Amino acid sequence: MKDRNFEIITVAEDTRGAQDAGPWMTASMLPLTAPVMSPPPAEKIRLTHTALIDQEHLVSKLYNMINVPTAVWINEQGRIVRPNETAYVDDRLKHIHGIEATPYIAALRDWAEKGDKSAYVFSEERLREKLAPQDPNWTLAAAEFGLGESLYKSGHLTEAIRHFKEAQRLNPDSWNYKRQAWLLSDPKRDYGTTFRDEVAKLNGKRYYPARDLPGEG
Amino acid sequence: MKHAPTTIVYDDVAVEIESAEAEGGQLWLTTGDLGRATRFEVKPQGVCRDSLCFPLPQAQRQEFLRDKAGKTWFNLTAFARLVQQPVAHESAADFSAWYFGLRSDQRQQLASLQAPDFTLPDLDGKLHSLSNFRGKKVFLVTWASW
Repeated sequence: MKDRNFEIITVAEDTRGAQDAGPWMTASMLPLTAPVMSPPPAEKIRLTHTALIDQEHLVSKLYNMINVPTAVWINEQGRIVRPNETAYVDDRLKHIHGIEATPYIAALRDWAEKGDKSAYVFSEERLREKLAPQDPNWTLAAAEFGLGESLYKSGHLTEAIRHFKEAQRLNPDSWNYKRQAWLLSDPKRDYGTTFRDEVAKLNGKRYYPARDLPGEG
Repeated sequence: MKHAPTTIVYDDVAVEIESAEAEGGQLWLTTGDLGRATRFEVKPQGVCRDSLCFPLPQAQRQEFLRDKAGKTWFNLTAFARLVQQPVAHESAADFSAWYFGLRSDQRQQLASLQAPDFTLPDLDGKLHSLSNFRGKKVFLVTWASW
């Protein structure tokens, strides 16, 4: 879809950057772009999209994202035309989350083809509704999380955990704050929980909010 | 009043300050250190950086600025309140750290429907800015190893 003036930018939200994200940014990342681009020859695997590393979780901060994978569609003028949405573009993890990639890829292809005329582009009114000002607690949570990351990097793990917990308390909807913090220490010991425990607690509630696609929701 | 090495994280960049003073939850820096930590400068028209400028309320000037030991000191926490910037703080016997988050004007960008710009490195350390892709449709997607 490169020839349709379409660019893919992936951003790794990893506090330890390439140390954690790097190993994934090779062959295993190909399925992410394979459905929308032709795969490169097997013997010469090279990412063909712009793959960035975001150690400070800046993109999540700027766009109010609370989980991964989350995508935003941005048009040629740099305007958001489709806001934050769970964005699975392959079925590798479908057995876990049950989200089908096909309808989303079809939507992406439609947009690549038709641009702002695509039916998947949100009206200005709906965009304004979705991009409403942030809850003040979320704003504070982002600062607590940022301080936690900085303390972690300077070797103050005990203090870091305290601020990660505060971020999680202020923005309980953010899986980013939970899962990133858990990765940086022993979640059972330091947070009294694990990802598995937290998912079990959802008790049928969705882990990912519904996408805004026809026939879903 | 406490004197311990102070780390200030501003725009996600950490800078060590030797002579910061914390008192009553307020963080005071010399105007020189202010520039080092934030790239903001105190000018007659306000506190400025590049094309950004935040005027200081004249009536409360002493809340932001004071002269001491031959230097001008600036209250960065009072400035954070002025520009509605969240602050998180941690201090122990041997260190102190302050994190300054997104200002109100940065958080308002989304409401304009314009995609907030950012600059980030790829695996080789080469920097890329979203704004460089103007003229193309961009499918921006976050992921993580965890």
